[in-house]
Amino acid sequence: MKKILSICPYCGLGCRFFIKVENNNILGIELYKNGINKGKLCPKGITAIDFIKNKNRLSHPLKLVNNKHLNISWETALKEISNSLLDIKNRYGANSIAFLSSARCSNEENYILQKIARLLGTNNIDHCARLCHSSTIAGLSQTLGAAAQTGSFNDILESNLLFICGYNPAETHPVIMQYIIKAKQQGTKIIVVDPRKTKTSWFADIYLNINPGSDIFLINSIINIIIKNKLYNKNFIYKRTVGFNKLINSTKDYDLDTAEKITGISKDILYKTAITFATAKKAIIMWAMGITQHTTGTNNVIALCNLGLICGYVGKKGCGIFPMRGQNNVQGACDMGALPNVFPGYLKINDDNSKKIEKFWDSNNISSKPGLTIQEILDAISKDKIKALYVMGENPVVSDPDTSHVIKVLKKLELLVVQDIFLTSTARLAHYVLPAAVYAEKEGSFTTSERRVQWNFKAIDPPKEAKPDWEILTLLGKELNLKQINYSSVEDITNEISQLIPNYRGITPERLKEEINGIKWPCPSINHKGTDILHQTKFATPSGKAHFIPVHFKSPKEEIDEEFPFILTTVRIVGHYHTMTMTGKSKSITKRWKEPFAEINPTDANKLNISNNDKIKIITKRGSYICKVKITNNIKPKMIALPWHWGANILTNRLLDPTSKIPAFKINACRIEKV
Amino acid sequence: MKLLINLNNCIACKACEIACEKEHNGISFITVIETDNTALPITCRHCEKAPCLENCPTKAIYKDKNGTILINQNKCIGCYMCYIACPYGIPVIDIKQSVAFKCDLCQKRINQGLEPICVAVCPTQTLVFDDPIRFAIYKKQNAVKNLIRGAKDEIRFSV
Repeated sequence: MKKILSICPYCGLGCRFFIKVENNNILGIELYKNGINKGKLCPKGITAIDFIKNKNRLSHPLKLVNNKHLNISWETALKEISNSLLDIKNRYGANSIAFLSSARCSNEENYILQKIARLLGTNNIDHCARLCHSSTIAGLSQTLGAAAQTGSFNDILESNLLFICGYNPAETHPVIMQYIIKAKQQGTKIIVVDPRKTKTSWFADIYLNINPGSDIFLINSIINIIIKNKLYNKNFIYKRTVGFNKLINSTKDYDLDTAEKITGISKDILYKTAITFATAKKAIIMWAMGITQHTTGTNNVIALCNLGLICGYVGKKGCGIFPMRGQNNVQGACDMGALPNVFPGYLKINDDNSKKIEKFWDSNNISSKPGLTIQEILDAISKDKIKALYVMGENPVVSDPDTSHVIKVLKKLELLVVQDIFLTSTARLAHYVLPAAVYAEKEGSFTTSERRVQWNFKAIDPPKEAKPDWEILTLLGKELNLKQINYSSVEDITNEISQLIPNYRGITPERLKEEINGIKWPCPSINHKGTDILHQTKFATPSGKAHFIPVHFKSPKEEIDEEFPFILTTVRIVGHYHTMTMTGKSKSITKRWKEPFAEINPTDANKLNISNNDKIKIITKRGSYICKVKITNNIKPKMIALPWHWGANILTNRLLDPTSKIPAFKINACRIEKV
Repeated sequence: MKLLINLNNCIACKACEIACEKEHNGISFITVIETDNTALPITCRHCEKAPCLENCPTKAIYKDKNGTILINQNKCIGCYMCYIACPYGIPVIDIKQSVAFKCDLCQKRINQGLEPICVAVCPTQTLVFDDPIRFAIYKKQNAVKNLIRGAKDEIRFSV
């Protein structure tokens, strides 16, 4: 029996465990105590091997012939795909092709896919960070200059206050709760802001049950109280920031009376929150989808940065601005430049930088024009501007808003290629489906939420003809005659990444295999031990200073009216992961979390004559959805919360944040009928 | 060493249930109960005066040298007495085999010097495997720390 050290394939914490293997069979999981998870796992982690040997794993390349997927050989599949891609490029230009990369694949795989896209001449490459933290990237780039968690998980234990805003780790990052609970036992105060009384709020010293979408009003009024009481960090603001006067002017009208009306939180509690926050000396602001998935997502993030900055809670131990990332490599996929507006290492797309990249890649074909985001790609397909879509490890039919629209659009494509581990709802529509290896069947590096790059070791072989994504892409590159896609091992790609991206310069495959608990970027040289805390002496902005940016409250774009009087918000539950491609294959999971329950308040349930476990139909302008009801005071009246794993995106809207183009999953107008 | 519980930590993630069921051929002996914005896992307490043991007519239930209450399935007749007597409703009767099963504190792991699997995975330290005296001292220390902290906060925020 062998024990192989693995990385959990689910969220962005980067938990480790051993996979016990004998003769290419998986015997089970053994706990590993030296990772950030300290041996602990959540239900997804413990069942992370359950789906690997599932009989429905894709194991042959497939081609859609007369609406049926038939087995074909790798040779034929890759030849036909590349011929079709080149043909479409010749007929309609490079920008008629788009690529979706994957936050579930390794750094190397994301790097190589964006490289293929760019060598073909298009920046139309995006991935699901668009749906989760794209507003974080946009917000943090403007304020702090670096789109990443500023500190480490260990800072939670050193902090005096955690300001947890629109983030429910008890359900989405259970393993981080050991840090939060330990901190609380040591006296750290916990403030939770959420319109739902979540399991995380059970641990709150102060719980703010905010009206959905009023985050900026809340934060600006807290800033206003702190400024009026002169509790801001003068020294830090003077030395390390610019724009404080603009911030004072922009927040001075956010008075307590109006704040109480708009946020739904009493003046006393608002005041107490502001004073507690400002006098904590060391605090961490943590957020996730409750902040980002709004039409004001980018501004929500900027407001939180403003709040952290006026108190100087950045760049030192026990402090930080923490966007909590939801996928095992969403940080890495962004770092690798699987985004339409930046090259690898967040190099902005412009003439100078595209020349730089051309030189590095030995190409003369790199576009200096930013590409399209996921939602813009779908729009472009519907307008016949994009003809081919290549999807690696994503399932937009379930994960993107307005499912019916997504399906209609994808059916218009001349070429849809999906590279995945199961025949997902998206793969079902694909002209070609390529079978990929899962995490345990391949090697490569993954970057966690705290910028920790860890090496994933191979435990077993992929089923039948399935291959690691980097291998598939290397073969495709060869078929496309791209001489720059020439790798004989995954380590070749890791080395190229370290040469191109300054923050990864010292992160080599040799080091990662030696230093198995990983290295946190920035790691500028081979002797550098990595960086726990960003922005310690200067910020990553051109001036080296952090920027205060005034932002103002705006009502959510989706209007609540008489026809659709409820606010529908989508949520996650602890047992399932995103579109359930993997968790849905574990019996231990599916018997405990069988079906979705919509949460509604007792007053609404009474009015509609609905009891617990009754079936209801939720209707929005996009579609309708039937599920059972759980009646609870944890949700406000006129609100309804629904887990999205089972396909609730049939209901959600396509309204976007103008800067980051993130869809506003968190606020949808709906009505409810008893079935 | 006893299986003890920190009352305020559970988030109902059910990691313990799944880990237990993977350790014990598909049957979980621990159950997480969630009510009214709190949750707790419940499993065999390995009682010092165990009603299941006292009521077992075939002496299938016994206490080992560590004080762990175990069932010898060879002697069990599946009469449900342990099931009825247990104040926490812990034993499980396996219908196919007609015998009772319950938490064995992961004997295989204990013999290797490891903690029970539910304790090992629990991401919130709700479940702990500790010496009851040490656990009590730890609780007393925490209570005192909290009192002092509370008093300090009162001074800090009473402006």
